[in-house]
Amino acid sequence: MRAESPSGRPSVRLRSRTLPLAAALTALTMVVSGCGGQGGDSADGVVELRFSWWGSDERHAMTQEVIELFEEQNPGIKIVGEYTDWASYWDKLATTTAAGDAPDIITQEERYLREYAERGALLDLSQLDGLDLSKIDPLVAESGDLDGATYGVATGVNAYAILADPQAFADAGVDMPDDDTWTWDDYVKIAAEISEKSNGEIVGTQAMGYNETGFAIFARQHGESLYTEDGKLGFSKKTLEKWFQYTVDLLESGAQPGASESVEIEAGGPDQSVLATNKGAMAHFWTNQLGAISASSGREIELLRYPGETEHERTGMYFKPAMYYSISAGTEHPEEAAKFVDFLLNSEEAAAILLADRGLPANVEVRESIVDALPEADRRSAEFLAEIEGTIVDGNPPPPIGAGQVVDIIKRINDDLMFGRLTPAEAADRFIKEVEDATKAS
Amino acid sequence: MSALLQRRPVTSGSPPSAAPATPPQPKPRRWAPRKLRETLTAYGFLLPWFIGLFCITLGPILASLYFSFTDYSLIGEPSWVGLDNYRRILDDERLHTSMKVTFIYVFVSVPLQLALALALALVLDRGVRGLSIYRSVYYLPSLLGGSVAIAILWRQIFGANGLINQILGFFGIQGEGWVSHPDYALGTLVVLNVWTFGAPMVIFLAGLRQIPTMYYEAAAVDGAGPVRRFFTITIPLLTPIIFFNLVLQMINAFQTFTQAFIVSGGTGGPSDSTLFYTLYLYQKGFGAFDMGYASAMAWLLLMIIGGFTAVNFIASKYWVFYGD
Amino acid sequence: MVTKTTATATGQKKARNERIRRLLIHAGLVAFGVVMLYPLLWMLSSSFKPTEEIFRDPSLIPSTFMPGNYTEGWTALQHPFHHYLLNSAIVVAGAIIGNLLGCSMAAYAFARLEFFGKKLFFAIMLMTIMLPIHVVIVPQYILFAKLDWINTFYPLIVPKLLATDGFFVFLMVQFIRGLPRDLDEAARIDGCGHVRIFLQVILPLSMPALATTAIFTFIWTWNDFFSQLIFLTDPNMYTVPVALRTFVDSTSQTSWGPLFAMSIVALGPVFGFFLAGQRYLVRGIATTGIK
Repeated sequence: MRAESPSGRPSVRLRSRTLPLAAALTALTMVVSGCGGQGGDSADGVVELRFSWWGSDERHAMTQEVIELFEEQNPGIKIVGEYTDWASYWDKLATTTAAGDAPDIITQEERYLREYAERGALLDLSQLDGLDLSKIDPLVAESGDLDGATYGVATGVNAYAILADPQAFADAGVDMPDDDTWTWDDYVKIAAEISEKSNGEIVGTQAMGYNETGFAIFARQHGESLYTEDGKLGFSKKTLEKWFQYTVDLLESGAQPGASESVEIEAGGPDQSVLATNKGAMAHFWTNQLGAISASSGREIELLRYPGETEHERTGMYFKPAMYYSISAGTEHPEEAAKFVDFLLNSEEAAAILLADRGLPANVEVRESIVDALPEADRRSAEFLAEIEGTIVDGNPPPPIGAGQVVDIIKRINDDLMFGRLTPAEAADRFIKEVEDATKAS
Repeated sequence: MSALLQRRPVTSGSPPSAAPATPPQPKPRRWAPRKLRETLTAYGFLLPWFIGLFCITLGPILASLYFSFTDYSLIGEPSWVGLDNYRRILDDERLHTSMKVTFIYVFVSVPLQLALALALALVLDRGVRGLSIYRSVYYLPSLLGGSVAIAILWRQIFGANGLINQILGFFGIQGEGWVSHPDYALGTLVVLNVWTFGAPMVIFLAGLRQIPTMYYEAAAVDGAGPVRRFFTITIPLLTPIIFFNLVLQMINAFQTFTQAFIVSGGTGGPSDSTLFYTLYLYQKGFGAFDMGYASAMAWLLLMIIGGFTAVNFIASKYWVFYGD
Repeated sequence: MVTKTTATATGQKKARNERIRRLLIHAGLVAFGVVMLYPLLWMLSSSFKPTEEIFRDPSLIPSTFMPGNYTEGWTALQHPFHHYLLNSAIVVAGAIIGNLLGCSMAAYAFARLEFFGKKLFFAIMLMTIMLPIHVVIVPQYILFAKLDWINTFYPLIVPKLLATDGFFVFLMVQFIRGLPRDLDEAARIDGCGHVRIFLQVILPLSMPALATTAIFTFIWTWNDFFSQLIFLTDPNMYTVPVALRTFVDSTSQTSWGPLFAMSIVALGPVFGFFLAGQRYLVRGIATTGIK
C-alpha cells in the first residue's frame, strides 16, 4: 500500500488507520475494473463495428432503430453507435484517427472528406463488394470521389435555398416574390421593403454572408465556381466583391439586422434564426433544415429558389450531399462495414425509419419509396428539390483540403465587413488570400 | 500563549520563516544520514506522483514538444521541420491578436475576480447568519461550468435585446449588442469570469477557516482591536492562499478556452475580438489539422505562463508568510 | 468574528446601530444573490418551457408549464438518464478518492520535507498544468489505447490517484504550509514518524483543504466534458456532460427543453455535494482541540 511511507515502522494504531485507506483503494479498483470490462473483440464470432455520427437525440434514436433492424437481419454483426454534437464530433474523430483507433464507419461532411481521404484515413468504397453504389442520384454520385476512388457516399441530397415566412410577408404587406425570375436587386429591394413597411418589427432577411455556400451559388451563376476541380479558387475578385456589396446594401437599407445583432443571430444557429423567432421574413438555409425551422417558428415556412437564377450566365443552385458515409482505412472488417453502409443506403426499410434525417435519400429508388411517408415539411423540401432538379447544370466539385477553415474565415471577414472595418473590395482581397493560405496543399 | 504569539510575524514584525522553530531542535541540515532518510521518506510520499509523472503525464508532454518541431496533420505522420513552426509564430498576425486578447483578459479579469472573491469571503466569514445559504448561492454560477446554456444565457443578458439593454432602456439609454460587438465582447467574457468567482471564494473561506483561533484569542488578550487583528493576523496568515489563488487563476486565465469557445461558437468572433490564445491554438490543431503549429503555440504559452509564475514565486518571498 | 468588547452602558444605541449594520449587510448580500441566481432561475424556467418558446419569449415565467421536458429528457436518449448519472457518479467517486489520497501525500512531501530535487519536482508539477489539453490529448489517447483503457473509466480515475492534478497538490501544499510547524514538531518530539504526523496531525488539521479538494474534484469532474468525450466511446459508458451534449445539434434542431431539464437534474448532485461538503469547511484547529 503506497499510503504507507517506507520509513514508517507501522504500529498497531497505524495499521488500523491505514485499513480504511486500503479498503477504499480496493473498492476503487473494483469499481473501476468492474465497469471497465467492455469493448474489444467479442470471442463468440460476432463482429463488432463502431459507427459514428453527429446530431441530436432524435437522430440518435432513429439511427439506433436502424442499427437494431440491421443486427436482427445480420446476427453475426454488432454495431455500436458513437455520437455527439457537431463540434465535438470532429475533435473526437481527429483524435481517434490520429491514434489509429477511428470508428469503422464514419459519417463525413463535404468540408472534411478530402482532409481524411487524401491522408489515407478512408477506404475506397468502390472496391468493396457488397456495397452497391449504382442507384445513387447522379447529381451527387461523384461528390465523394477523389483521384478515381470513392471515399464517401452521399447519405442524401440537400440544396441551399431561401426560406421564407409567408405570414411575415403578409404582416408587412409585401407580396411574396416570383422565385423563378427574381434578381439579386429584387431580393435586396423586397427585403428592405419588408423592414420598412413593418417599421422594423420584421426584418427583411437574415445576414447571408456567413456561409460560403451562398457565394458558391453566386459564383456559379456567373459561370465561375468557389473551387475548381483541382482544388484551386475558381472565381474572380470582381464577383466576390459584388457579393460582399450586397451585404453592405442590405445593411444600409435596413433589410437585414444590424451588425452586432447579426452576429448574435448567427451564433444561435437555426433555432434562433429570424424565422424561428418570428422576427424576420427570409433566411438562407439548407432544405433539410426546413423541418426544424418550421417547427421552431410554429409557422409554415416556404422554400424559394435562390435569387439571380435567371439573371446571369446560368443557374447556380446545386445538390449537395447532406453527409457522407465512409469507412475507416483501419477497419478490420471492411466487408461487414460495407454491408452496413449498403443497408443504410439501399434498404427501403432503413429509409422508412431515417426518412429525410440525413437529407433526402441519395438512392433515387429509395427516395421514391419514402416520399409519401415524409412529414409535411420534409415532403415540401422533397417537392422543391424535384422542381429545381431540372434546372441544375452540374454538381459542385468537392472542396479542397483545408476547406473546413473557410467557414471561420468567411465569418470573420463578414463580421469585419458588417462592422465597417473592411470595404467589399478589401474583404474580397482578404478572403482570397486567407482561403488560398488555408487550402494550400500542406 | 504569549510565548507562542511572540513567534508570530504579526506581533514580532518578522516573517515566520525567519524565526527559529522550537529552540531545542537542532537543524538537521548538514546531518547527511538524516537528510538521506528524509529524502527517502519524501520519495515514499511522492511515489504515486512519480508514477503518475513518468507513466502518464510526462510522455504526452514530451510528445507535444516533439510535435512542435514537426509538420503534423494529426491524420498523417509527423515530419521533422526544425524551428519552422516557431518561426511562423513570429509573423502570424492572428496569433498576435490572440495574445493581446489573452493578456488583456488575464490582467483585467484575474485581479477583479480575486478581489471580489476575497471581499465576499471576508464578509461571509464574519459569522453572518445564513452563511451557508449565501455561500451556496454565490457558488451557483461556478457550478454551471462550461454548460452550453451559458452561451444562450449570455446572449439573453448581454444581447442587443438582452436584459442589460432592457434595464438601460428603462433609463432611456440605447445599448449596444454587447456580447456581439467587437469592442465589448471581450468585456462580457471578463464579466463572465468574474461572475464565476465561487471557486477562489471557497478557497479563501477554507483558508480563513484554517487560521488557528488561538492567534485571535491571544491577540485579543493582548488588547488588539478587530482592525489590527485583521491586518496582523488574518491577512498575513491568508497570504499563502492569496498567493495560491493568484498563481492558479493566472494559469487558468491564460488557458481560458471553454467560455470563449461556447459564447463565440468556436470562432473567437466577432472580428477575432474574443480569439483567446488557446482558442486559436485549438482552431489550428483541430480545425486546420496543423497540430505541429498548435504544439509550438502550446510550448510558447507554457514559457509565458511559466515566466509569469516564476515572477510570482520570486515576488512571493516578499509578501507571503508561511507557518513553517 | 467574535467580538468580546466591553459594551455595556451605551449598549442600546450601539446595539441598534449594529442591527442596522447587519440589516444592510444582509440586504447587500441578498441583492447580490439575486444577480447570482438569475441564470439558474432562467434555466429552471426554460426547462419548463416548450422548446420553441425558449427563444421567442425570454420572460422568466413560462406561458405554458411543461413538466414533460423532464420525462422526455429522461428517456430521450439510448439509456434512461439515471444510467449516465450513475456513470458520472462512479467517475466522480474515483476521482475524489484518488485526488484526496494522491495529492495529499505529494503535498505533505512538498510542504514539510526537505529532499533532493524538491524545487525541480515542484516546478515540474506546476509545469504539467500549464499545457493546454488540446496538444496532449492525442498522445494521451495513444497511451491509454496501449493500456487498453479506452472506453473504460481508468483514464479518468487512475491519473487522479497518481496525483497528476497539480492544482490540488499545490492547493494542499499551501494549506499545509499555512499550518504552524510547532504542531508537528511537538508530535516529533513525542516520537512520531512522518507517516504518523501526516495521518494524525496534518490530515485532521487540513480538513478545510481536503473538503475543498473533494468539492472541486466533484464539480470539475462532474462538468468535465472534453476528456470524458474523448476517452469514452460507447454510449453505454457516457457520463452526464457527454450525454447532455447529445441533445445538441447546431446544424439542425436542438432539443432545448429536454436539455435544460436534464441540465437542472445534473445540477442537483453537484449542488447537493457542495452543500454537504461545505460543512467540512470548518475551523480546523478550533475543532480538533490539539494541545
